Amino acid sequence: MTTYIIRRVLLMIPTLLGITVVVFAISRFAPGEPVSFTGGIGGQIDTGQTDVTSARMKLYGLDKPIHIQYAQWLWRVVRLDFGDSIRHHRKVSELIKERLPVTLMLNVIAFLIIYAVSLPVGILAAVKHGRLFDRASSAVFLMLWSLPVMWVGQMLIGYFAGPTFKNWFPPAGLSSNYAEQLSFLPWLTDRLWHLVLPVLCLTYTGFAYLTKQVRASVLNNLQADYVRTARAKGLSEPAVIFKHVFRNSIIPLITIVATLLPAMLGGSVIIERIFSIPGMGLLAFEAITSRDYNVIMAVATIAGILNLAGLLLADIAYAVVDPRICFESTVEAL
Amino acid sequence: MRGAKNKKQKEQSHERKRVGLSYGELVWRRFTKSRLNLVCLIFVLFLFLLAVFAPFIANDKPFVIRIDGKLYFPLLRNLQPSDYCIFLAAVVVLWHAVGPPSCFRKKAGGLHRNTSGLGLSVAIVSVGAVLIFVFVPRRFDAVDYKEMVDSGKATGAIFAFIPYGYARTELASHRQPPSSRHWLGTDDVGADVLCRLIHGSRISLSIGFVAVGISVVIGILVGAILGYFGGWIDFIGMRFVEIMMAIPVFFLIITITAFFPRSFLNIMIIIGVTGWTSNARFIRAEFFKLRKQDFVQAAVSLGLPLRSILFRHILPNAVAPVLVNATFGISSAIFIEAALSFLGFGVAPPTPSWGQILSLGVSASGRFLWWLTLFPGLAIFFTVMAYNVVGEGLRDATDPRLSKAA
Repeated sequence: MTTYIIRRVLLMIPTLLGITVVVFAISRFAPGEPVSFTGGIGGQIDTGQTDVTSARMKLYGLDKPIHIQYAQWLWRVVRLDFGDSIRHHRKVSELIKERLPVTLMLNVIAFLIIYAVSLPVGILAAVKHGRLFDRASSAVFLMLWSLPVMWVGQMLIGYFAGPTFKNWFPPAGLSSNYAEQLSFLPWLTDRLWHLVLPVLCLTYTGFAYLTKQVRASVLNNLQADYVRTARAKGLSEPAVIFKHVFRNSIIPLITIVATLLPAMLGGSVIIERIFSIPGMGLLAFEAITSRDYNVIMAVATIAGILNLAGLLLADIAYAVVDPRICFESTVEAL
Repeated sequence: MRGAKNKKQKEQSHERKRVGLSYGELVWRRFTKSRLNLVCLIFVLFLFLLAVFAPFIANDKPFVIRIDGKLYFPLLRNLQPSDYCIFLAAVVVLWHAVGPPSCFRKKAGGLHRNTSGLGLSVAIVSVGAVLIFVFVPRRFDAVDYKEMVDSGKATGAIFAFIPYGYARTELASHRQPPSSRHWLGTDDVGADVLCRLIHGSRISLSIGFVAVGISVVIGILVGAILGYFGGWIDFIGMRFVEIMMAIPVFFLIITITAFFPRSFLNIMIIIGVTGWTSNARFIRAEFFKLRKQDFVQAAVSLGLPLRSILFRHILPNAVAPVLVNATFGISSAIFIEAALSFLGFGVAPPTPSWGQILSLGVSASGRFLWWLTLFPGLAIFFTVMAYNVVGEGLRDATDPRLSKAA
């Protein structure tokens, strides 16, 4: 098991390097010199080949050949030093340390809710295959899947969190202004109150995808021989479903975490922007509007790393849950 | 449940009995079994018509107007090069869809001619587009024909169904809720929302199709090479595909939009270039399956060039999953374009885009303008949903194994 994990991590290294190459390449092959724009509103645009430009090029190491620039950048990234943010005048790593937990919290809560809803619905849909519940749930979830998230977010704010219609929920942020003075329990309710709408937006698209997978997986298992055996020996239907079918059909669902994660990270840019939640997504959005290169590169790299970590976790969980997986041959199969 | 199974078996045996059914007919039959599929397909066709004929439906120039006893045709005169490009593309697509039906029916060789025909049409459209942009003059007609009619200078004007231009700025009537003059209200510069929605369908659809076209072409090229050769080429290639898949697509796209200038063309290219990985994987898997088959061996032993083996012999047998995937690709490209425009990274404002209208729904002062949120959102929703339903239907119809499991 340990050797499997070590081997899996080692295989990730080239992929990780590849991600940094892609991110670096995008930033360097883009038109325009990084030094010609000093950032912020009213930033100076300096297009001439003046002494200032060349001095700045030297300062940022831009006069060196591209592979050396990459090596230098990579060496700093390895030490978790992403440079300074032009917009915030702070270290990028500090900013990310502040913002990352917010996004992770949002996504983890959303994940739990998606699984809590999709598992029972998917199983029930598979058991009632072809009947009303099955068809209705798949129709509703297909509809939810197609709802654009920015529209839903804006509608929710407009109708439930604004002065125009109902004013039930707070429209923005993670907690109220006075939250720091509250004791733990009121603080928690305040936080949860703020999370209702954004988490709702993050979850509903996942329902459709996961429910479909659960349903397909359960249906597949329902046709297996061991189900017939279980029924033949007189087990009750719930016992067949939950003790036999459910446990077997849950295994492929673990890897789905890995496919849901990137979509949710992307979606959190939109959601954090709509609800003004200070997470990675909003950081990325602000960095892009102000051309804060260091932050953009850091966020893209970290998003890639997070994604890879998700894949790794899914693979390990898969191996832990299903003892039939042979560790030696999986590496070959990769 | 048992009844349903019996019925299914009966249908299958029925399908087997009719030997003369071609693959296309079989797919069409399975596809149209669900009425929702058909409705969504019709909606997609309706969107096409809307996009193609947008300038005739919503335009501030009249079809015909009589000024000083002389007849003028301002609407036709003011068609832009981009309009002619869309007409050309529509004609080519129509020719492909209904065109000479014999080439679809033919058993042997039919597919070859089909694929080469596709290449020819792409060539016609691209060369035609260049010619149109070079030779058709760009006109700018600032005459206010409505004002001329009102003041009695002109008579006999026949206006389009929605007599507003999408780039109209009339600050006097900005941010008006729906009324009898503006059915879906006006936006922050006073343009008619319905008109902008209709013209926005062109942006959405063209971005959807061009971006998916790019991603399908890249996916087919990469997937074919990886799948056919296998070995270390495949190993290195798949590592690269893995890298591309490891970066969340939306993050990658907004990162690229941050560095490159924002234009209509760039957005199409960016969405296309970032979305090819799933296509490449599908094609690679199919090529893996097919490369050891007899007909490929035959083609190799005949000494055919590699290009011919890959794209004339294997590809037609491997293309179905990618075509299904492309349907979902269109819906996701439309969604990404809307999201980019919503965040302000999309096309620049005078160009109508659904996402851009949606972003105006909350004004700077925090006022919620429901008509600027509801209607563009519905447009995106129905379009995306129609493509998703059509995609699901196609997937079930082309892959009976999948439809049995799911």
